[in-house]
Amino acid sequence: MPLDLNRIHNVPDDLLAAIDYCYEQGWTDGLPVIPPAVDRVYAMLAYEGRPPEAVIATHPATGLQLTVHAAAVNAVMAGCLPEYFPVLIAAFEAMDKPGFNFHGSTASTGGSAPLLIVSGPYADAIGMNADVNLFGPGNRANATIGRATRLILRNVFQMIPGISDKSTQGNPGKYSFCIAERARDNPWPLLCETQNYPEGVSSVTVFAGGGFCNVENHGGNTPEQILGSVADAMANEGCITLGQSVVILAPEHMRIVADAGWTRQHAQDFLFSQAKRSVEEMTRVGKFRDIEYDKQHGADAHPLAEIGYLHRGLTPDDILITMGGGDAGGHSCFIPSWSRGRGSIMQHKPIGVCIDCN
Amino acid sequence: MQLYDPTSSGAERHLSRAAALASLDGKTIGILENGKLNAVEMLHEIADLFVQRNGCVIRAVYSKSNASAPAPSETLAQAAAEVDFLITGLGD
Repeated sequence: MPLDLNRIHNVPDDLLAAIDYCYEQGWTDGLPVIPPAVDRVYAMLAYEGRPPEAVIATHPATGLQLTVHAAAVNAVMAGCLPEYFPVLIAAFEAMDKPGFNFHGSTASTGGSAPLLIVSGPYADAIGMNADVNLFGPGNRANATIGRATRLILRNVFQMIPGISDKSTQGNPGKYSFCIAERARDNPWPLLCETQNYPEGVSSVTVFAGGGFCNVENHGGNTPEQILGSVADAMANEGCITLGQSVVILAPEHMRIVADAGWTRQHAQDFLFSQAKRSVEEMTRVGKFRDIEYDKQHGADAHPLAEIGYLHRGLTPDDILITMGGGDAGGHSCFIPSWSRGRGSIMQHKPIGVCIDCN
Repeated sequence: MQLYDPTSSGAERHLSRAAALASLDGKTIGILENGKLNAVEMLHEIADLFVQRNGCVIRAVYSKSNASAPAPSETLAQAAAEVDFLITGLGD
């Protein structure tokens, strides 16, 4: 069947009426959208080298496809500037990897939201925020790229709340959940560097985030104290699973950790070894399962997995750690994975370049 | 003002249901469990009803490693070759 890229809705030449029209069509996330006028969509498309009909992602159950064109329409509606578009495209290329399982992580009662972490020079080039109020409002790029992600899930993939999105409670990140990794004063290699992209190539990492947990520690002044607080948050009985984790260290906390000579791997090892609950504790709250314990302590068990305990994740590499936020404040955060385990594994893709495509 | 439609502009996939069995009597049953807590137990309870009422036989239990992802096509192809009908479900 030929693609119909030209489904046009003719509406009165009245901007407010057009906004209302978008509401009436069920195209919004509850907030007003920019009406996707054709000229704005063309401007967005100019930032993607592939033709409008090129398919970026496919829903595994329904077969619904995200084309470059549909992505551009939703990006306009979210309020994106054209230069943001490559980030959105890369994010859905990453989400289309089977391991991410964007259907499950969106449809599930678990209520996760795709967290986008943009790493590298492109974040600065488009004015993303990696600093003060990192997860809060105020930055157009962060806000609208994250919002466009949600609009695509809703409008293209028809993940409609109450119908195909059965989140029990959802989370605020389902409006928008997009940040930049802070490069300024970051003592560790950037994520895009650890992901082995060529120098100068930026990346976006996607993670099905189940919420947001602030980790406050203004009194600790050693890596063990700071990361001990983080590990305790990761291992709380409501959150602990075999799933992956994202930890964004505040600059204050990062300085304490890095000034003591700790590398990212050192910190990952520490968090993995400390973020754990005993079998007795897991049993007491009704969350212990033999199958999960055996998976962590079987033949492929990581050496830091302690007998008699359930750790968060399967290996230290399941914990993504980087820096973000303003200079002042002992507030880091832990973002748990979706629901009970490893139904979604974080993925990444380069922005605006084709490295591993055919 | 002309607005583009933001819904899927990709090719549609046409899905159809398999033909219903003429009778359940004496048929072979497969169970597709998704790894969730108590899934195997609950699905066996359901299958046992067909055993008792229709003389069915439970032939095989298939597993998914990810409850929320579609079953691998190999699993479905194997089930289609081995059993007359499949019982599955999703819940908590």
